[in-house]
Amino acid sequence: MLNLRFNFVLLVMAVSAVEVRAADADFRRDIAPIFERRCLSCHNGAEKKGKLSLQTEKEVLDGGENGAAIEPGKPAGSLLLDYISGDKPEMPKKGPPLKKEEVALIRDWIAAGAKWPADLALLDRAIADTNWWSLQTLVRPPLPKLAAEDEKRVRNPIDAFILAKVREKQLAPSAEADKLTLLRRLYFDVIGLPPSPEETSAFLKDQDSRAYEKLVDRLLESPRYGERWARHWLDVVHYADTHGYDKDKLRPNAWPYRDYVIRSLNQDKSYGQFVREQLAGDVLYPGSADGITALGFIAAGPWDFVGHAEVPETKIDGMAARNLDRDDMVTATMNAFCSTTVQCARCHNHKFDPVTMEDYYSLQAVFAAVDRADKAYDADPAVADRRRKLTSGLKDLKQDQEEQDVKIREAGGEELASVEKRLAELSKAGPVGEKPEFGYHSNIEPRQDAVKWVQVDLGKSTPIERLIYVGCHDDFNKIGAGFGFPVRFKIEASEHETFAANVVTLVDQTQADFLNPGVVPQEVVAPKGTAARYVRITATKLAPRQNDFIFAIAEFMVLTPGGENMAAGKPVTSLDSIEAPVRWSRKNLVDGYYYGIKSAAIGETAKLTEKRKEILERFLNKELKLEIRKLAEAMKELEDALAALPPQQQVYAGTIHTGSGTFVGTGASGGKPREIHILLRGDIKRPDKLVGPGTIPIIPNLPPRFDLPPDHKEGDRRAALAQWISHDKNPLTWRSIVNRVWQYHFGRGLVDSAGDFGRMGQLPTHPELLDWLAVEFRDDGQSLRKLHRLILLSSTYRQSSAHNEAFAKIDAGNQFLWRANRRRLDAESLRDATLAVAGKLDVTMGGPGYWDFVLEKPEHSPHYEYDKMDPDDPKTHRRSIYRFIVRSAPDPFMECLDCADPSQLVDKRNETQNALSALALLNNKFMLRMSEHFAARATAAGKTPADQITAAFRLAITRDPTAEELRELTAYAEQHGMANACRVILNLNEFLFVD
Amino acid sequence: MIEMPLSRRALLASLGQGFGSLALASLLGNDARADEQSNSKTSPTPPLSVSPSPTRVLHHPAKAKRVVQLFMSGAASHVDLWDYKPMLERKHGQASDFGEKVEVFQNGLGPWLKSPWKWQQYGKCGKNLSEITAPLGPCVDEMAFVHNMVGKTGVHSQATLLQATGFQTPGFPGMGAWISYGLGSLNDNLPTFVVLPDHRGFGPSGPKNWGSAFLPAQHQGTVIRPGTANPIADLFPTGGKFITKDSEAAASSLMKKLNKQHEATRPGDDRLEARIKSYELAAQMQLSAPEALDLSGEPAHILKLYGLDHGKTQFDKEINEVEETDYFGRKCLVARRLLERGVRFVQIWSGCDNGFPRRNWDSHEELHRDHGPLALGMSRGAAALIADLRQRGLLDDTLVLWTTEFGRMPCSQGPNGRDHNPFVFTNWLCGGGIRGGISHGPSDEWGYRPLDRENPTQVYDIHATILHLLGIDHTRLTFRTSGIDRRLTDVHGHVIKDLLA
Repeated sequence: MLNLRFNFVLLVMAVSAVEVRAADADFRRDIAPIFERRCLSCHNGAEKKGKLSLQTEKEVLDGGENGAAIEPGKPAGSLLLDYISGDKPEMPKKGPPLKKEEVALIRDWIAAGAKWPADLALLDRAIADTNWWSLQTLVRPPLPKLAAEDEKRVRNPIDAFILAKVREKQLAPSAEADKLTLLRRLYFDVIGLPPSPEETSAFLKDQDSRAYEKLVDRLLESPRYGERWARHWLDVVHYADTHGYDKDKLRPNAWPYRDYVIRSLNQDKSYGQFVREQLAGDVLYPGSADGITALGFIAAGPWDFVGHAEVPETKIDGMAARNLDRDDMVTATMNAFCSTTVQCARCHNHKFDPVTMEDYYSLQAVFAAVDRADKAYDADPAVADRRRKLTSGLKDLKQDQEEQDVKIREAGGEELASVEKRLAELSKAGPVGEKPEFGYHSNIEPRQDAVKWVQVDLGKSTPIERLIYVGCHDDFNKIGAGFGFPVRFKIEASEHETFAANVVTLVDQTQADFLNPGVVPQEVVAPKGTAARYVRITATKLAPRQNDFIFAIAEFMVLTPGGENMAAGKPVTSLDSIEAPVRWSRKNLVDGYYYGIKSAAIGETAKLTEKRKEILERFLNKELKLEIRKLAEAMKELEDALAALPPQQQVYAGTIHTGSGTFVGTGASGGKPREIHILLRGDIKRPDKLVGPGTIPIIPNLPPRFDLPPDHKEGDRRAALAQWISHDKNPLTWRSIVNRVWQYHFGRGLVDSAGDFGRMGQLPTHPELLDWLAVEFRDDGQSLRKLHRLILLSSTYRQSSAHNEAFAKIDAGNQFLWRANRRRLDAESLRDATLAVAGKLDVTMGGPGYWDFVLEKPEHSPHYEYDKMDPDDPKTHRRSIYRFIVRSAPDPFMECLDCADPSQLVDKRNETQNALSALALLNNKFMLRMSEHFAARATAAGKTPADQITAAFRLAITRDPTAEELRELTAYAEQHGMANACRVILNLNEFLFVD
Repeated sequence: MIEMPLSRRALLASLGQGFGSLALASLLGNDARADEQSNSKTSPTPPLSVSPSPTRVLHHPAKAKRVVQLFMSGAASHVDLWDYKPMLERKHGQASDFGEKVEVFQNGLGPWLKSPWKWQQYGKCGKNLSEITAPLGPCVDEMAFVHNMVGKTGVHSQATLLQATGFQTPGFPGMGAWISYGLGSLNDNLPTFVVLPDHRGFGPSGPKNWGSAFLPAQHQGTVIRPGTANPIADLFPTGGKFITKDSEAAASSLMKKLNKQHEATRPGDDRLEARIKSYELAAQMQLSAPEALDLSGEPAHILKLYGLDHGKTQFDKEINEVEETDYFGRKCLVARRLLERGVRFVQIWSGCDNGFPRRNWDSHEELHRDHGPLALGMSRGAAALIADLRQRGLLDDTLVLWTTEFGRMPCSQGPNGRDHNPFVFTNWLCGGGIRGGISHGPSDEWGYRPLDRENPTQVYDIHATILHLLGIDHTRLTFRTSGIDRRLTDVHGHVIKDLLA
């Protein structure tokens, strides 16, 4: 019996042990993943949305603001179940409701006692699964087997892959398009311009079996190719020539990056180098202009001027602006090169792709030292080389000089030491650089004779020997130096705050107009024995602006006989003040700063320098003097040579910025990267773990955090990312670029979401072809030209765009390429083609962009007035790639033709046909004026109206008009004039669409 | 020439300005559904080349059909317009103390500053309005105030974008664009989403606040400038003396003929037909837009209602209430005419960029100088619009939203100005489905933060509520771009039940 009982106990124990383990396993297998995947991004210990965390057992039982989340054993009484079940469950807030089976599992788990393995804490689960097509190692796939008849159509492997899929889908390939169609297609696709009638007839006459191939090569080698294809890349990197946001100020030095892209394409630079230059050209290709101008990539996107230049990095808004600025750099980099949406992980681990918050912030750390700013460079590599040598030579000489200085100091003794100490102080005082604290500024008055005053309270009665007052500097309305300096004024001192009595006049300029002294400090000696507590400047005749009047003054100093400025930092009062800090504020009157302050020290510096020379003359021996002279001469020679070099150019780039005022950058700290923390929920106020530079964990055997020495420079971080992206084993980079190129040629990518190869993106229609192209491209010189050639020479590309009703039923969107896609001209091609047919196209390459607007009010928030543009301004007749692109206020004409929006990364343009675009093509003054030029050209090209219409048709449409078209258009031209007829031609669908 | 019958789908597709996407979705049945599955961007020859079908729209019966949004650029002061604070009157001039560290844009943390205007109660609900919003007194029982709005930043550009598009950075569609995308148009000869900017300039980021961003371009706001030769860009030819009435008529039929011939040999491409149709719509717009914008036929009592009876042809140089009333009132009257003619969403801007002299609500220096005339002009126009919509029976299904970037601090900057206050501000709504006479979510006694800091209202909630009243579930109006199903309300937003009638 005992035995039996014992056995029973054992049995019970055994069963319960098994049960516990099973429950454990169930929780880990069934419940934990649901919580981790669907609940923990909000309900974790740090976040505690609704005051509830589901990370630990205790927290679950403690519950949230509505009480315990679960009651073990009682599903009916468990709040958690209420929230997640029902027709419209309240939770999870994001994504679809939990599946019925999942809810049932949780219910069962609660019913069974809600057992939670001891000490188990759940984690907001990141996606670790790299089992996704785009993350697989690139391997060259074998070519598909085709039927013999199909093999005949195969010009290169592209055709094999496409044909195999076409057959698999019960489709058939289309016949080759006619020569004329191919010609027009190639021109617009490769160079973005129509063929001229001469080029057309030459091609049609060319009976060489390689005529097409020759044309492909000729177009790919045309400089127009780089101009056309640069536009595609600029869409992807959201390039523009203004900052965007509210001020939308001009970025006059953005264009060297645009020219870099054009140049790189025309040179057929290897893609790996193209990638590396844009992220770290300064580090990896030092001394080359491309290595610097390429960095315009990092800075191509929008920049919040106010968030940087008016709010310091120490304020929350300033930090947030900089965080968003880095976010744009990270997003653009990973989208453009890797087709990955890492930006989703700014607030939470990526919901679909293997990107954790730490990965994301490690990418921010790569850019943590840089800002968007102008960067100097030499366009000529020879000059760059010479500058580098001279600078380095000068550095060596400076070292020699330091050694020499030791000797001099030994010789110069005490006397020299004291002079040098003062000189050092003076040099520290300046140069100050321009600061935004302009000064005091009165309210604005409609009348010039309004009286305004501002005064300083010295705190107590103070002996006054001298006064110094300085005018302001503000570029408002191009006024500059002396802004707001009163025309007539007086300066008085008094012991009484109100100046009611005992007033001593120190300066009286009320009787005659005073010549504006600009920013030159004005010094006045007070009558002997003057003492007062208050000193007041009163303007009796205000300074004029455009239509109104003001009183402004930058600095006011009240000096004692001992030379001490008693006004510094003292309270300032005034009749009124616009108080628009930081620029305008009463306290700026006595802050010790005024425009050009460094020059004030020049006088004393000169005197002391002279004295130093005299001391040296006295103390130094002959040898040392000779040595000093020699060294000085050597240095001067180098300095002169440096000064004689052509001035450096500027490019707006991602760079270390050294600024003053609010936008200081990291230059002062030698480009030390800012510390980057994981931000909980992306909130700048909630910094968490510190992270170093890195990327996402997708290359096997490469750790996602960069292994850099502790003393690495910031550029090493960018270089590491550049090397990682252009790594042979990066599964995304090579697929991404060949897909983009494919998309621009065919109108649709093999992956239709060119910027997202993740789980929210599209699947490839031809995964093997994509991989084949990626491997071929990567391993054969990374040459875009070769890739284009391969595509353009394929039978696939040469198909007709003719419709087939039966095939359209199977594949309406033509994703399997059983025919070519008819393409609508993009905004730039349409504008360029219009200029070309009108005979007005100016093919000058490079340099600052043309303005198709009139700029008004540039000093505050520029107004871009497009409707004031003169369509006959020859500067605007350049190719559209050279358009000065305004970010916040886009050109309405280009915009309604679906040009890219530079506030977004544009992988693929929208295409809309609506009333507004019809109106633009009909009535925009550019189109009207070009119709007239086009008409003049056509008129000159033929004697009879019919000949003229034929000429016009050939220019714009490439072919000859049919008899009926000719008759109709000629009749119209005879009645309403050639300009009207040309306007009709420019509005024809056949002008806009390329078969 | 063969006259090709316009296929039903092409017809519908071409009406980017015509039937809404809902109509498309329901009429096209499965075709449109199939399109949803693929990338929302237009493929080379997509089944629908003009309006890719949005995912599920009109989720429940709508209370409102139209929206007019009044947007105060520069940040209008809640404590001087809508949110009465007796505490400021009591503590006026005393050093301000917020009980915590406060960071404001220009460090304007002077003494408490009472509103320079007198306050008075209006309506059955007894809502307090200040002297400069008094013209809205007769409307308060129809208005719902939200006094616990919080923003995310005191930077104008970001704050404006946030209120206009739901995101702080550029590159997202304006609310009107989302609504156009979701519901389509109520007319076929005017744009769906019209923007009436302040004629003196754009607010921060200008067109980025009403752009379509990743949505198809026909959903973007169209700027209309009433009273100019070309109130819509390129509505009529500028320059081009060679164009006559006859040449225009003949051009139109010739283009159509040639384009039809071209299309006849290229079946299966709806875009060609859509483009032919777009020229017809353009012609209709040329007829209807000038008529819609012509105020000359408005009777005297209506002009008086909107404050347009001042008889002045020139205004003083200084900012003044007659001028501001004229500008804002005129836009409100134009808005009413557009709404009547089936424009879905009208956005009216008050205040332009930061320039001198100041012509916006950013009163860092002189509250009295800027807020006085701007608010009086705005209140007169808004009150007239509400009254006029009401008397035409349109207020029942037209939503009016008043909003701004953020509020202004209850303390002073300089003697007479106020710094930015992104911590609390006011919105109000009126009309279509809104419960009038309420003040939702009070701010604290100073107007510094929400009284209940844990439960503020955000722009997402306002947007969710507006979409709700239009019959749209804000979580289900989405568009996939860059791997994300984007929404107007991002991942946030709750319908504010308290505001619903």
